[in-house]
Amino acid sequence: MADHAAAHAIHDPNIGNTGLDNRKMGMWAFLGSDCMFFGSLIGTYLAYKGKSLSGPGPHDVFDIPLTSYSAALLLASSLTMVLALSALEQNRVKKAAGWLLATALLGFHFVLNQVYEFTTFALHHNLKLSTNLFGSSFFVLTGFHGAHVTGGVIWLLILVTLAWRGLLDKRDYTKVEIAGLYWHFVDIVWIAIFTVIYLIP
Amino acid sequence: MADQPAVAATHEGGGHATVRTYINVAIVLAIITALEVATLYIPGIPNWFLVSSLLVMSALKFFLVVGFFMHLRYDHPILRALFVGPLIIAIAIIMAVMALFSAFLLLPRVVL
Repeated sequence: MADHAAAHAIHDPNIGNTGLDNRKMGMWAFLGSDCMFFGSLIGTYLAYKGKSLSGPGPHDVFDIPLTSYSAALLLASSLTMVLALSALEQNRVKKAAGWLLATALLGFHFVLNQVYEFTTFALHHNLKLSTNLFGSSFFVLTGFHGAHVTGGVIWLLILVTLAWRGLLDKRDYTKVEIAGLYWHFVDIVWIAIFTVIYLIP
Repeated sequence: MADQPAVAATHEGGGHATVRTYINVAIVLAIITALEVATLYIPGIPNWFLVSSLLVMSALKFFLVVGFFMHLRYDHPILRALFVGPLIIAIAIIMAVMALFSAFLLLPRVVL
């Protein structure tokens, strides 16, 4: 196993002493740190829950059907992401690009839903970042998640462009896999936010 | 498709699920999400049961995505440790902050 890893490392500069791809390992380490980041934001939201001195509160503003639709969009995008990876593994680059584009569009739709939600909160319910504890903790948490999704959409669109220009093939599997790890992470954070913030009364 | 193995090998020597498994996982995720939302609309459901069932369903979805879509189920233990370690710390952070502010979801709030 060690010999195999060492032999692999000679040919591929991205393979470290562990026999694992350094880029992939770095992404997992980043996702671990991001887990703690979102953990602290979710903890803060829960700590402040129900402690706002003035309204509006969560149940005055939340639109559960819209948020459920957004959750479905992200779950669907996770499926299209793994289908893109699977297509790339078979060197079907155009198909992979199509699935990547679908993933990016689903993500973009999610961001548009969030923009609509934030705008509705601000204009119709007068809930802003500085309105109360709920507004501050809610907008910071979901806003950071939205920023992550936006970053993911940009990353995916770059990969789609590379694929269309013939600069992406089976050899770039790990690059796309790393983008996929990031994308799925965004999805699992939303799984937690959707339940803890929106669904739990 | 039907004769594909449940786990396909990758060029890194590990493995990951097949397309059929991905689709099955996505269907399960959709069903759980629908159940989560439906649970909210059950009249007279006790709060402790609602919160517990939502947390269990959410955790199930979380681990399905991490295990199958992120391939962590098939990946190297080092990668698993890199993610699971901080995840445990994150959960501990949430519990600690909630305990400090006396904000547990299932227990009655205590004013300090």
